[in-house]
Formats: sequence, C-alpha cells, structure tokens
Amino acid sequence: MGIVFTRLFSSVFGNREARILVLGLDNAGKTTILYRLQMGEVVSTIPTIGFNVETVQYNNIKFQVWDLGGQTSIRPYWRCYFPNTQAIIYVVDSSDTDRLVTAKEEFHAILEEDELKGAVVLVYANKQDLPGALDDAAITESLELHKIKSRQWAIFKTSAIKGEGLFEGLDWLSNTLKSGSS
Amino acid sequence: MSGHDSKYFSTTKKGEIPELKEELNSQYKDKRKDAVKKVIAAMTVGKDVSSLFTDVVNCMQTENLELKKLVYLYLINYAKSQPDLAILAVNTFVKDSQDPNPLIRALAVRTMGCIRVDKITEYLCDPLQRCLKDDDPYVRKTAAICVAKLYDINAELVEDRGFLEALKDLISDNNPMVVANAVAALAEIQDSSVRPIFEITSHTLSKLLTALNECTEWGQVFILDSLSRYKAADAREAENIVERVTPRLQHANCAVVLSAVKIILLQMELITSTDVVRNLCKKMAPPLVTLLSAEPEIQYVALRNINLIVQKRPTILAHEIKVFFCKYNDPIYVKMEKLEIMIKLASDRNIDQVLLEFKEYATEVDVDFVRKAVRAIGRCAIKLERAAERCISVLLELIKIKVNYVVQEAIIVIKDIFRRYPNTYESIIATLCESLDTLDEPEAKASMIWIIGEYAERIDNADELLESFLETFPEEPALVQLQLLTATVKLFLKKPTEGPQQMIQAVLNNATVETDNPDLRDRAYIYWRLLSTDPEAAKDVVLAEKPVISDDSNQLDSSLLDELLANISTLSSVYHKPPESFVSRVKAAPRADDEEFADTAETGYSESPSQGVDGASPSSSAGTSSNVPVKQPAAGSPPPAAMPDLLGDLMGMDNAIVPVDEPAAPSGPPLPVLLPSTTGQGLQISAQLTRRDGQIYYDISFENGTQGVLDGFMIQFNKNTFGLAAGEALQVTPLQPGQSTRTLLQMTPFQNISPGAPNSLLQVAVKNNQQPVWYFNDKIPLHVFFGEDGKMERAGFLEAWKSLPDDNEFTKEFPGSIISSIDATVERLAASNVFFIAKRKNANMDVLYLSAKMPRGIPFLIEVTASVGVPGVKCAVKTPNREMVPLFFEAMEALTK
Repeated sequence: MGIVFTRLFSSVFGNREARILVLGLDNAGKTTILYRLQMGEVVSTIPTIGFNVETVQYNNIKFQVWDLGGQTSIRPYWRCYFPNTQAIIYVVDSSDTDRLVTAKEEFHAILEEDELKGAVVLVYANKQDLPGALDDAAITESLELHKIKSRQWAIFKTSAIKGEGLFEGLDWLSNTLKSGSS
Repeated sequence: MSGHDSKYFSTTKKGEIPELKEELNSQYKDKRKDAVKKVIAAMTVGKDVSSLFTDVVNCMQTENLELKKLVYLYLINYAKSQPDLAILAVNTFVKDSQDPNPLIRALAVRTMGCIRVDKITEYLCDPLQRCLKDDDPYVRKTAAICVAKLYDINAELVEDRGFLEALKDLISDNNPMVVANAVAALAEIQDSSVRPIFEITSHTLSKLLTALNECTEWGQVFILDSLSRYKAADAREAENIVERVTPRLQHANCAVVLSAVKIILLQMELITSTDVVRNLCKKMAPPLVTLLSAEPEIQYVALRNINLIVQKRPTILAHEIKVFFCKYNDPIYVKMEKLEIMIKLASDRNIDQVLLEFKEYATEVDVDFVRKAVRAIGRCAIKLERAAERCISVLLELIKIKVNYVVQEAIIVIKDIFRRYPNTYESIIATLCESLDTLDEPEAKASMIWIIGEYAERIDNADELLESFLETFPEEPALVQLQLLTATVKLFLKKPTEGPQQMIQAVLNNATVETDNPDLRDRAYIYWRLLSTDPEAAKDVVLAEKPVISDDSNQLDSSLLDELLANISTLSSVYHKPPESFVSRVKAAPRADDEEFADTAETGYSESPSQGVDGASPSSSAGTSSNVPVKQPAAGSPPPAAMPDLLGDLMGMDNAIVPVDEPAAPSGPPLPVLLPSTTGQGLQISAQLTRRDGQIYYDISFENGTQGVLDGFMIQFNKNTFGLAAGEALQVTPLQPGQSTRTLLQMTPFQNISPGAPNSLLQVAVKNNQQPVWYFNDKIPLHVFFGEDGKMERAGFLEAWKSLPDDNEFTKEFPGSIISSIDATVERLAASNVFFIAKRKNANMDVLYLSAKMPRGIPFLIEVTASVGVPGVKCAVKTPNREMVPLFFEAMEALTK
C-alpha cells in the first residue's frame, strides 16, 4: 500500500507545472535571468516590448516562466497575466537606487492584486556584480518586504551575468511550491 | 419575492468565450492549438472574439509553425480593434524576425506589415531593417513589400529610417524575385507620393532588364510596368530596351504580353528607323491575336486595349481583321468591341469581306448588335469614299427586309452619308420614303424629316410627307419637333407655294405659342423674324452649304490616347479614361480638364459622326441629334472639385474659398469654449456673436472628439432680451472623428423677445443625429447691435447730450481695463461701431467722446476718461434707454480690455 502511495505522489510531483511571472522595472535584468535559467548562458537582450515565455525544468518542477516587459507603457498589461499564477519573481536592479521607490510602489501594487493572492513571492536583488549595488538587507528595507504578512516570500542576492544566486532562489521556490500544495 | 430566484443568476454555463479562454490558457500544447483553431473558426464566421486578444497572443511564442500562423492571422484581424494590447506582440515579432528558420522570419515581417497600429509601427522598424538585409532572398523579398505597406501607414517613418534607400539597393539584388518585389514596392510608394521617389536611371535600367528574364510572371509585370515610365535617352537606347523586352511577347500570361506591348509602343515613338518600326509592328501582331483566343473576359480587356493600339498604329493589325470577325457564341460585349475594331481596321482592300460580315450581323437576333452592325456599315461608308456605294447598296438591301429597327437604324446612318457625300446618292430617297410609316423612334424620325427637308425640291410630295408628320407635332419629342420646324422652313423656302405657307404658319404658331421648350421657341422665333424681314437672307442662312463631315467620332483625342496608351493593361485602358478620373489618390490634384477628358471619352462611344456644328444651320442639329452617347461601364465620378464656402462667399471675406472637405480655416481669433468636450461627450462647441458688414452672425465652431461621425447639426436659441434667433439653417458638413469646422450663422434680432429686465443671457441648444441635445449659455455682447450708422457729428453730439436729462447719465469704472494707445483703442472701438468724435486733455487724463447706436434709433453718448498706460478706465454714458446701461458697460469693458 505504501509503495502505491509513493508512486502516486511522485507521479503527481513529477508532472508538476508552475506558472511564474518575472516582473520588475525596465532594465532590471528579467530577460537575462529568464535565459540564464533556461539556457544557462548570457544572451544579449533588447528592451522587451511585450513578453517572453519559456519553460524551465528544475527540481522536478516544470516552470512556465513569463518574462514581461518592464517599461512604463507595458506595466499596465501585466494584469493580463495574473490569473493562475503560482509565483512571482520580482527582479530589482540593486544598483539603480534612484528608482527603488518606483520599484517598491510597483511591487506593492502587485501584492494588492486579488488574482495574485495565493502567489508566493521571490525577490531577486539583481546586479550584485555592479559596484554600489545594495545588498539583500538594504533591498528588503527599501521594498518594505517586512510588511508582507499573508504570503511566503524570500529575497536572494543575484547576478544574472555571473549566474549567482538564481538557482538558490529557484530551490526555495520549488520547495515552497511543493510544500504549499501537499 | 423569495430568495429562490437568485438561482437564475448563478448559472453553471460559462458560454463560449470563457470556455475558449480557459482552453487557450491550458498547460497542454495540443489543447491550446485546438483552442486557437476554434477562435480562428469563430473569427472567420464573423463572431467577435477580440476579447481573447491577450490569451491568443500568449500562444504566439511557439515552436509550432501552424499555431504561429494561426495566431498571426488572428493578430492581423484584431490588432486594429485592440491597439493598446497589440504592443504585447512586439517582442515576439522581434524574436521571430531573428528566428533561424527563414520561413518564420518572412512570416513575421509579412504579418508586421499587415498590422496597422500606429503605436507599434515604430518598434517594427528594427526587425524590418534586419530583414531587408537578410541572407535569405525569400525574407528580403517579403521585407521589400513590407516597406510599401509601412509607407502607407507612416510615410515619414519610412523616409527617416532610410527604407527607401534600402529598397533602391534591393534593385541591385542578385535574386530576380527580390528585384521584382523591390520594384513593385517602389512603384506603389511612388503612386502615393508627389515627390519623385523611384526614378529609373540607365544603371537601374540594365539591372531591371536582367532581372526581367529570370523572375516570375507577375514579377515581370511589375518590372515591365515600371520600365514603361522610363524615358529612353535616344533611339539607340530605345531600340536596346525594345530588343530586350520583345521576347516577353511570347509569354503565356496576357498581362506580361500587354505590358510588353505597352513598353514597345512607347519606345517606338523614339525609334526613327522605319525598318525597325515596321519589324516591331510585325512582331506585335501575333501575340495580340493570340490574346483573342483566351476567355471572353480576357478577350474583352484585350479588345479594349487593341482599340487604343489600332488608333495609334493601325498597321500592326491591318492584315488581321479576320480575327475580329464575331463568332456566333461570342458574348455580346465582346461582339460590340470587335465591331468597333473592325470599323477601325476597315480599308478599301478588305471592305468587301467586312461588308459581308456586317450584313450577316445585321440579320442576327440581338437587337443592339444588329443596330450597331447597321451603323457600322454607315460609318464605313463615311470613312471609305470608294466603298460608299457598296455600303449603301448593302443598306438598301437591309431596308428591303423591312425589319423595323434595321430600317430605322439605316435611315439614321443614311442621313450621315448624305451629309458626307452631298448630291450623290439621293436616288435612294424614294426607297427610304416607302418605309416612312414604320418609323417610330425619334432619332430615325428626325433623320428622315431632315432628309425630306434637305431634298424637298427633289421629292415631289415633300409637302404631303411633312404634313403627315405635322399632324402629331405637339406630341412629338423635342428632337423631332426641331427637325420638323427646320424642314418646314426649308420646304417653304424651296417651294414657296400655298400649301407650305399654311404649314409654316401652323408650325411657327405651334412652336412659339404652344410649346414650353425654349430651344424650340427660340429657333422658331429666329426663323419667323428671318422670314418676315428678308426671305432672301433667310434662304442664304437656312439653305447654306454645309461642311462635309468625316467619321472621327470614335477617335480619341491624341493627348488622351497617348495617356491611355501609357496605361495599357490597366483599368484605365479598359475604361478609356485617365486613371485620375476614377481613382482618387493622395497626390491626384483636381484637374480642371478632367471633365473634358470624360466627355471626349464618351464621344468615343457615340455611334455616328457629330460634325459640322455650324451655328444656325439646322442640319447640324440633325447631325448632333443622332449622336447619342452609349453609356459605358460606370467608372466612378471625377474627383470632387473644391467647393467654395458659400457662406464665406456671401460675406465677401478674403478667405472665402474654403474647401468643404477640409476643416474650415479659422477666420479670426479662437472662439471661447462654451461646451467643453468633457460635457459634450467628445463634442466641443466654441462660439461667439459677432457683427460683420452690418449683420449679426453667430461664429460657431464644432470639434468632433468622438469616435464616430457626427452629422445633422441643428441649433436653436431660447427667447432672449434682444429676440436673437437663427436667420438661416445651420449648415455643418458631417464631422469626421477628430475634425473640426467653423461656420458663420446669420442671426436676426427682435424675433422672439423675452420679457423682463434686459440681460445678456443667450441660451443655446445644439443637437445632432448621434448625441443628445446639448444646452449651453452664451453672453450677448451689446456691441454686436451697434449700427454702422452710429457716428455722430460734434454738433449733433453736443445737442443730444444737452437734450438728455442728467439722471440719464451713468458712470462706471473699469479697473481692469487699460488704454495703451489712444489710436489703437479708437480703432478697436470703431471696429465695433463705437465711433470716435473728439478728444480733449484733462490734467494728465485723456477724455474721449464717442457715440454708438442701437437699432430702433437708441443712441449712446459716451465719455471715456483714462490716462494712457495706466490701468483703470472711467466710462460715462448718456442714453434715453436706461435699461440697456448695465449691458452697455459690460460691452464697453470687454472692448477696452
């Protein structure tokens, strides 16, 4: 009996799919992160006018990752992608201190959304390779992450160019998603 | 009411759209693909699935080419209705335009060109730029066409981004299909631009001629059509071009053949060597003949083009007349065209054959065709002098078969033959007279009557014949009446006996007293006076020798012919009208001579000669009367000429000519906004009362900020102190979205006066067909009533001032007003009919005396005190009408502001 159960579980988990949105201001590094995760290499990107969607297989979870353009003109259309989303990866350019306030406002606006109530939040404090980049604690402060009460969240220091911190974040995400549904 | 009814609102059925939405967001690829197919199916049958836009666009990034194509199809259809969301597709286009698969790159660039949304056009330039330089020719050729599409959306962008240069570079591409498409795109762009964009140089010429041999048939058509615009430098170059193009004549595609013929015809103009020209003519004949073995529709197009060609170069097909003989099963439109060309090709050498054919046709069943055949015989007679006798004998044979419409048609053409060969064939009149009773068509009757009148001296019973017609004079159509009148006068002049005298009395009486037709009456009066003043002079005028006619009614004017030849194998050469007359293009400026061209083209269809317009000579009307233009295929109307703004014209304003289809140029300063667009659901109304040339007008402007057209504007004014009401209907052309118009509405005062204390309130209601009625308030500035006659002399002013009691004097300060220059103020006041009388200095103040006058003789005697450049103006006024004073001050304050 026990064996049957394990099989059932593993088959359920083996086929797990998760829909993930990668959001953040323009030039935060969303598209670079997406392709770093998918192909493991750095691709040259241009501002995303619209979206990219790729599938990333990690830790037995098939992530359907939607990378949405971060320009002001496109932000209003993020909401079209909110339904059925399990997780949000919010990418912040840690070196762009001038726009951290905007990043915070956009971030909290997203958290307010009804359709994203159940989504877990993973914040990437990106561009750690740049001089003057704030660390995760400072970003946590700036984004007022402590105010988040009713959902799970985590913040990771990342550098998409060097590939640091990305998969650690994804580990957290897969664990959280697995435990959340079991 | 119980709570049970709530169940009706919570149905479990979701409907098609939410179901599709769910499927489109499915995690399974197959399910998504099926869903997109369902969406496309719904779109194709006309269901609105635009609400699924984002969901469909989200399926766009896929490896599956089939799915991608479907999504693209959806995008082309709905991008316009979802312009904001269309931006979400941009990134995918950018990615696809870099896809390793050239098919996907081309697909992306092709679809991009079909998405006519301004907001995203800009983002698509980079991918397009890349694709124009793509390694794969298929991508390049697709990108070339995309440039033309983009030019249509945003010409400026195309020019700024250097796409035109890129296109021109593609002309030198090593792939002929790319060259052909680049040429097609450039030609298309040139068509919508006034500036010379695409000009073939001798360098590009050789490139094009090389590509010509290798590209597809339609590519060849594009290249040939563009080449036809090239003006060769000299005869040698022309010969060279012709030599390279001649092989295209063998092509199976009719369009290629006709385009090649077009170029050869144009270049032949330059070629001087007669040998070469003769040779070319020989070479062109077989391909043209071959065109006539195609389907009837293509035959028709070919025939219309050949009609032009034979007018220019009759020698090409001179020996081929047999191929234009009508087959029994040809459709009627082909037969008619063939007949036309047969007449043009008829010569002394082949006339016997042709006549035999015509005679055959004249016994067929189709009435129109038979008539045309009979006329054709007549036209051949007029055209070929040596064959005239043979033609006439054929006509006589036809008359003998006594088929009514054949006889009538024959009589009409015989009249023309008499005009062409006077005093030659009159012996046949007797035969004609036999059929007199059967004539029932006005044109035939008129022709017969003309013949009787013209040859009255040779017809013994001419008076009897005419008399028989005269009995029904009042009932006849104008055409016949005119001929009867003229013929009777001729008869009288030729045989001034008693019978004709009585007839002429009756006819003149009928034609002057009993008729409503001014033409008939005028002609009758002229004859009457001529006859009563000097019968000899009348003889000289009425029986004057008439000029000989020739048959060129079906010949086009040579400049028009050249223009049409340059457009061979286009719609223009089928309509026989220049393109501007039926295609409205951006650059097509209204042409003054369009009308004339159209007329010429129509006479091109008329069936008989219309020569000899010689003033009073009555016979000329017989000639023209037979010239009834046959309606040709509708070819659209000529571009509308700019219509002057009648209102502005009435006003005698400088800018009176305002094309109605443009927003009227604002005349004068901007008007105050009375109905903001936020209140008027997008409609903004600005207006002001104004006085011009002694009339009060409501200067009103409408701005349409709605999404749709607004029309049917009407205006109504509520009762007001001055009884101002609209003096005419408001005339506003339908307003397109974004358009604005300004108009002057004449106002009449003292129509519907509201009782009570005078006030300046003017309540206005405006309605149109699309919106609710809008109400807004305006102020009546009193000065619009000030008359032009308000100027008083010094003495008169003083006298009036003294005669009015002092308690009729009022004073008010305008603290906000300032007089910066006496002259300017005086001028400004005078423009509003407040006239300057005198001024004096009082300490450092200037005192102005002015006068104004309201209708019904109410004067205003005004004293204005102010110091130049210092704010604050004091105004005193004396008037018998004390009630108007507050309004007066209001007006003065506005005028001195």
